Amino acid sequence: MNYIGENLLSREFDNGLKAYVIPKKNFNKVYAVYSTKYGSIDNEFVVPTTGERLKVPEGIAHFLEHKMFEMPYGNVFDKYAELGASSNAYTNYTNTTYLFSTTSSFEECMRLLLEFVETPYFTEESVEKEKGIITQELRMYEDDPEWQVMLNLLRAMYHRHPVRDDIGGTVESIQNIDVDALYKCYDTFYHPSNMVIFVAGAVDADRVFEIIGEWENKRGKLPQGEIIRTYPEEPDTVNKPRIDVKMSVSRPLFLMGFKDNDVGYDGIELLQKEIITNILLEIIFGKSSLTYEKLYEEGLIDDRFSFGYEGQKGYGFCTIGGETKDPEKLKDMLVTSIDEAKEGGLKEEDFERVRKKYLGDYIQGFNSLEFIANSFVSYYHRNVNIFDYPKVLKRITFEEAERRLREFFDFDRMAVSTVYPK
Amino acid sequence: MDRLFKRKTLDNGINLYIHSTDKFKTVTVCAFIHQNLDKNTATRTALLPFVLKRGSHKFPSSRYISLCLEELYGADFGADIIKKGERQIIQFFIEMVNSRYTASEDKILDEGLALFKDVILNPLTEGPAFKKDFVEQEKDVLKRNIEALFNDKFNYAIERCFQEMCKGEPFSVYKYGSVSDLPEIKSEDLYDFYKMIIKSRPMDIFVLGEVDEGQIYEKLNNLFSNERREEKIAGTVVVKEVEREKFVEEKQDVNQGKLSLGFRTGTRYGDEDFYALMVFNSVFGGGPHSKLFQNVREKESLAYYAFSRLEKSKGLMLASCGIDFDKLEKTIEIIKEQLDDIKEGRISDYEFESSKKSIINSYKEAEDSPAMIISLYLDGIINGVEESIQEIIEKIRNVTKEDVVKVAQKVKLDTIYFLNKM
Repeated sequence: MNYIGENLLSREFDNGLKAYVIPKKNFNKVYAVYSTKYGSIDNEFVVPTTGERLKVPEGIAHFLEHKMFEMPYGNVFDKYAELGASSNAYTNYTNTTYLFSTTSSFEECMRLLLEFVETPYFTEESVEKEKGIITQELRMYEDDPEWQVMLNLLRAMYHRHPVRDDIGGTVESIQNIDVDALYKCYDTFYHPSNMVIFVAGAVDADRVFEIIGEWENKRGKLPQGEIIRTYPEEPDTVNKPRIDVKMSVSRPLFLMGFKDNDVGYDGIELLQKEIITNILLEIIFGKSSLTYEKLYEEGLIDDRFSFGYEGQKGYGFCTIGGETKDPEKLKDMLVTSIDEAKEGGLKEEDFERVRKKYLGDYIQGFNSLEFIANSFVSYYHRNVNIFDYPKVLKRITFEEAERRLREFFDFDRMAVSTVYPK
Repeated sequence: MDRLFKRKTLDNGINLYIHSTDKFKTVTVCAFIHQNLDKNTATRTALLPFVLKRGSHKFPSSRYISLCLEELYGADFGADIIKKGERQIIQFFIEMVNSRYTASEDKILDEGLALFKDVILNPLTEGPAFKKDFVEQEKDVLKRNIEALFNDKFNYAIERCFQEMCKGEPFSVYKYGSVSDLPEIKSEDLYDFYKMIIKSRPMDIFVLGEVDEGQIYEKLNNLFSNERREEKIAGTVVVKEVEREKFVEEKQDVNQGKLSLGFRTGTRYGDEDFYALMVFNSVFGGGPHSKLFQNVREKESLAYYAFSRLEKSKGLMLASCGIDFDKLEKTIEIIKEQLDDIKEGRISDYEFESSKKSIINSYKEAEDSPAMIISLYLDGIINGVEESIQEIIEKIRNVTKEDVVKVAQKVKLDTIYFLNKM
C-alpha cells in the first residue's frame, strides 16, 4: 500500500509465529515489539497441554510481564543498556507487549528480544521480591485520580467482565501469585501461534526475517490450536449508574461512559464500528462542536477534556469527560447534546470534515515509530490490518453514522464516575 | 559544521530556522517568544498564549480555528508556555500533513501558515483591549492549570522541591505564574503588555519538513512583517554553593510517599564539563543501568520508579522516587551513598559504558522526532551553544571516567523534599 509511502512486509514461520516489518530507511532508530494476545482479562482458560481448566489471580499477566525481564544470567534491562538500547513492556486488558528501541546493534537487540521473551525464568525468591515493586506501582496508581476515575467507570459499567478489574490486580490479589501459576500462564499464552513480532525503522526486512527464522527453527515448537478462554456472562445493563469517590484533588474529575452491546466480533467490522463511533464523538463533543464551545465558555471543561471509544471483541465502551467544577451540570449538558444530536440529526458537512481530520491524523501517525508499532499490534490482535484504515474511513457512510448514533448512545447503558475533592 | 537548520533573519529581525527534509509526513512550524522568568510578569506572560488561541480577526473563536484545522486534514495547533532555566518562553506550533499524502490539491501549508500568523499577530480585540470574555475565561483556565499540578503528585513533588530549593531566585517561579496575580489582570493592560512583548522580545521561528527554503522564507517574511525593536534579555544565574542542606516535608492525603532531592551541579549547558555532567547524571539516575534504579529499585525493592534528571540551563539535578512512608531515612541514605560512590570513583565499566551509550542513543532517537529536534536546537539558542547533534555525540564519546568523577565533586545536595501522608 503506497498510499502513504510505506511498505508492510510479512513472513510466517513454521511454528506459527508471524512477523511484520515496515522499513523506514531515513530514520536512525529501530523500534521492535514482540507481543502476545494475553492481557489482564484472560484469567480463566484451559491449559492446552494438559486440558486443565484454570482460574488465576487478577494481575498475573502484568506480574508475568515484570518477571520476563529476569534471566538466569541476570536482568535484561542491563543487557539492553550494555548495547546502548532501551527496552520496556506494557500490559493492557488484552495484550502484553515487549519492546526495544535502538540506534545501533540492531541484530543483537533483536536476538535478545527473542531470547528473553522466549525464556521464562521464575524463582520463588524473585517472585516474592517483585511483589514489593508491584505493590509500589499499584500504590502509585491509587494516588492517580485519572486512573481511579476510569477504573470506577469500568466498575460501574460492568458487572462481571474482568475489564472492570485493575490491569495490575490488587495488592491482595498479587500475593496469591506463585511460580507454578506463572509458568502455566506463560506456557499457554506465550506460544508462537498466539504472538506477533513487528519491527519498524532503519532495517532491511529480509534480514529481520532471517534472524527470526534462524532463531525460531531452533526452538522445536509446533503450532498450537486456538486457546480456550472463558469470560463470565456479562448482562446488557450497567452494573451501577454511578460511582462517586473522594480523593486528594483540587477539582472534581468526571467521566461518562456508554457500554456497547454490539460486541462479539473483530476484524474489519470492528474497525468500521470504531471509526464511526469516534467520528460521532468528534462531531458531538470535538473542539469544532457547539457543545464544546458552550462547555468551555461556561468554565465546565478545559482543553484536557477528552473522549474516545475502546472496542474489543468481547467488550466496547466510550468515555467522555475531564476535570470540571460542576460534574452534575457537565453531565446534564452532555446528555442534552446527545439528545439533540439524536433528535435533530447530524450535519453531513461535519461528517465529511471530521473524516478529513481522521485521514490526516492517520497519516501524521506515521511520523512516529512508536505510534506505528503500538497501533499495528493493537489492531493485529483484533484481526485488523492497520493499512485497511484509510479504505474503511473512505467507505463508511453518513447514514451508517446516523444509525450508530441512535443505537449506541442508549441512556440505559450509560454510567458516570466522579472523583470529588475531600 | 553540519548544522541541520539553515538560519536566516526576516526583515524585522525575527530569526528563522529552516530544515528541509522529506523524512516526515508533516511540515512543523514553531514560534518561540523569549521572556525573562520574573515573578512580576510571569502570570501575565503565561496568560498570553491562552488568550491568543481563543481567537483572531479572521478566526473569531476557538471553534473557527478548529473548523479550519479540521479542513486542513486535522492540522495540530497549539500555544503554551515552556520554562527553560530562567526563561519563560511562549510557544506556538502548527503541524500540517504534507499535501502529497492527502491526494488532494489543498493548499494546506499556505492556509495553515495564514492561520498561524493571524493567531499570533492579529488577536481579536475590543477597542484597545483583548476581548474581555476571552481574558476572563482564560484567567480561570490558567488558574485551573496552576492548581492541576496538585492532582499530579509525581510532578508536584518535583516542582515543590525546585521551589523550596530556589526560594528567592527567579527559577522558583512556576511556568504559569501564580493564582494570586490573576484577579488584577485587566484586558486593556494585558493587550498593552502583549504589544510590548511582540515588539521587543526575541523571537525564533522553526520550519521542519518538505519545504522549499526560498519560498518558505518569502512566505514568512510577508506574513511576519510587524514592526519590531528587539531588546536583549538576561541570562540564567547558576548558583554553585549550598549554605546548608534543607529538609522540607509536606503532608497530604496520599497512599505513597514522594521523595525529591534537589542538587546544585555548578555546571550548565555551554560549560566545558557539561558533557561529563550528562554522563554523571546517567550513571547516577539516568535509566535502568543507573545506580538509583539498580539500588533503590532492583536491590532494595523500595520504589517502582527512581531516577534523576538535569535542568540544563540552571545547573540543577533532581532525583525522585515514590516510596513507602516508613522508608524515608533508608532511601535517603541509599541515594546519598550512590552519589558518594561516584565521587570516590566507584563507577563500574558497565555503568559508565551504558551511560554513554544511552545518552548517544537518545540523541540519535531525537533526530527521528520533529518536536525533539526543534527542542534541542532551542536549548542551544538559549544557552548560546551552536553545535549539531553529531558534535554533541562526539563530545559524549570523549568523556572519561576521570571527567565524571571530577564533575561529581561539584554536585551538592541542597534540598530534600518529602510528600508524606497526613
